[in-house]
Amino acid sequence: MDPSNVNLLYNSPHQIPLGILLAQYFYLTGLSAGSFVVSVIAILGGKTEYKPLGKIGAVVAPLCLILAPMNLLVEMAQPLRAWHLMTYLPGYINPKSPITYGVMLLTAYPISAIIYAFFVYTGNIKMSKVFAIIGIPLAISVHGYTGFIIALGKGRALWNTALMPTLFIVSAMVSGIALMILAAIIRNVYFSKGKTEDEVEADRKLIYGLGKFLGGTIIFDLFLILNAVLVLLTSSKEAWHAAELLLWGRYSLDFLGIEILAGSVIPLFMVFYPKTANSLKGLTIASVLVMIGIYAMRYSVVVGGQSVPLH
Amino acid sequence: MPDKPSQNASSGDEKRRTRYAMVIDLRHCVGCHSCSVACKSENEVPLGKFRSWVKVIEKGRYPDVSRQFLPSLCNNCANPICNRNCPVRATYIRPDGIVGVNQHRCIGCMYCMASCPYDVRYINPLRKIVQKCFFCDHRVDKGLEPACVETCLGRARIFGDINDPNSEIAQIMSTNPVVTLKPELGTEPHVFYIAADYDAMDSTSGVDINFILFEEPY
Repeated sequence: MDPSNVNLLYNSPHQIPLGILLAQYFYLTGLSAGSFVVSVIAILGGKTEYKPLGKIGAVVAPLCLILAPMNLLVEMAQPLRAWHLMTYLPGYINPKSPITYGVMLLTAYPISAIIYAFFVYTGNIKMSKVFAIIGIPLAISVHGYTGFIIALGKGRALWNTALMPTLFIVSAMVSGIALMILAAIIRNVYFSKGKTEDEVEADRKLIYGLGKFLGGTIIFDLFLILNAVLVLLTSSKEAWHAAELLLWGRYSLDFLGIEILAGSVIPLFMVFYPKTANSLKGLTIASVLVMIGIYAMRYSVVVGGQSVPLH
Repeated sequence: MPDKPSQNASSGDEKRRTRYAMVIDLRHCVGCHSCSVACKSENEVPLGKFRSWVKVIEKGRYPDVSRQFLPSLCNNCANPICNRNCPVRATYIRPDGIVGVNQHRCIGCMYCMASCPYDVRYINPLRKIVQKCFFCDHRVDKGLEPACVETCLGRARIFGDINDPNSEIAQIMSTNPVVTLKPELGTEPHVFYIAADYDAMDSTSGVDINFILFEEPY
């Protein structure tokens, strides 16, 4: 039937069950996972000049993770019944739901991250390496499971893609590295009393290296988004409408404008163009843009994905 | 102690198991919305939320125009996504096929609402839990029909046990071509339509996708 000849007269209201608070929850767990991974790479990498990064990440990761479940509790309709998620009696646990695993991870990961931070700050290299190795799969899972929450929502065309867990983890790495760059810059500029010029300069070289790492992760992130959008445009009708919403519709400002252009392409140029890549100001601006862009990504995936009518 | 939730209902038993389903014959539907009103009254559904509603579209160009109706409700699927995704097993499948919600266990995470491909669930703003059409299980368990079926003016809705070869619904399903909504998703819905219109079943026809009014869930 020619679409211009069809008018919708009455339908039940369109609701958006998972709102911006859930997008914020995904964002904060992503920051936590990303900064934990950077911290672990710094500690396990071996070179002593990376150690400051390890210390910063070890604190940032549990901090972000303590803020995250507050968003969940406010978003839920029955927050006082949240303890139902912890009743692991047979018959009550659903092993097929990603949220079940999420709750277990949300208790295990902060504990391991705090113990890891304790060992990093007391200088116990061996135990901090042990807890780094324990913490890495937990950190990646605590954000990967949110990707599975989205991907297993089979009814929504934007969500039901195999790329979703990977895309979430890569975006988490991008935002985590950006947060670490910002934290390292703040430490370098404002907390460098009693350090020699050489040490401050070596610190800065470390930050420039982090900037290149950020650039590489952004390229991978953009590649995954390109894959997802191309396949959306050539899949089912609902998938085409989801891509339409993101690319030239209601969420085009959030997706193309903020996430892709301001949040990925411009920072990518900034971290590889020599003049901005080797200045703290340039890296600060690039990191802030990246963090805003990844927030827009969470928003457009969570809320934009629920904006295609289902009935 | 709430009922022990059962696994997916399977028909492989030696004794024939009841499986409830509904057939909506759109050749008889006049679009009066009585089913919607009766459901609201029977189940005390809050304002602005619907367990059963009638989607109305208008198609064609004058003088060849018509209105098409699609009464929609929870399909009580045999392989539902809501049941798989509920973290606390508040959503469960009864042995007779009705998908229930344990009103005391639901934590209101709304993941079932986000997963449902038919958007039939809602949050009750007064009780702050997820509800949907349960095929009026409080009436069915006593041998009555659901409220919408009983009140339908055109006798468009037929409800019953499809595993009973003598029931009206089994005979109608065997002798008429029936369709379901979104069969490609594999949810095995158990609300069947006769003579449903293609544009009415299409969720994006007739709407400008950039101007949909959103509702907060509660």
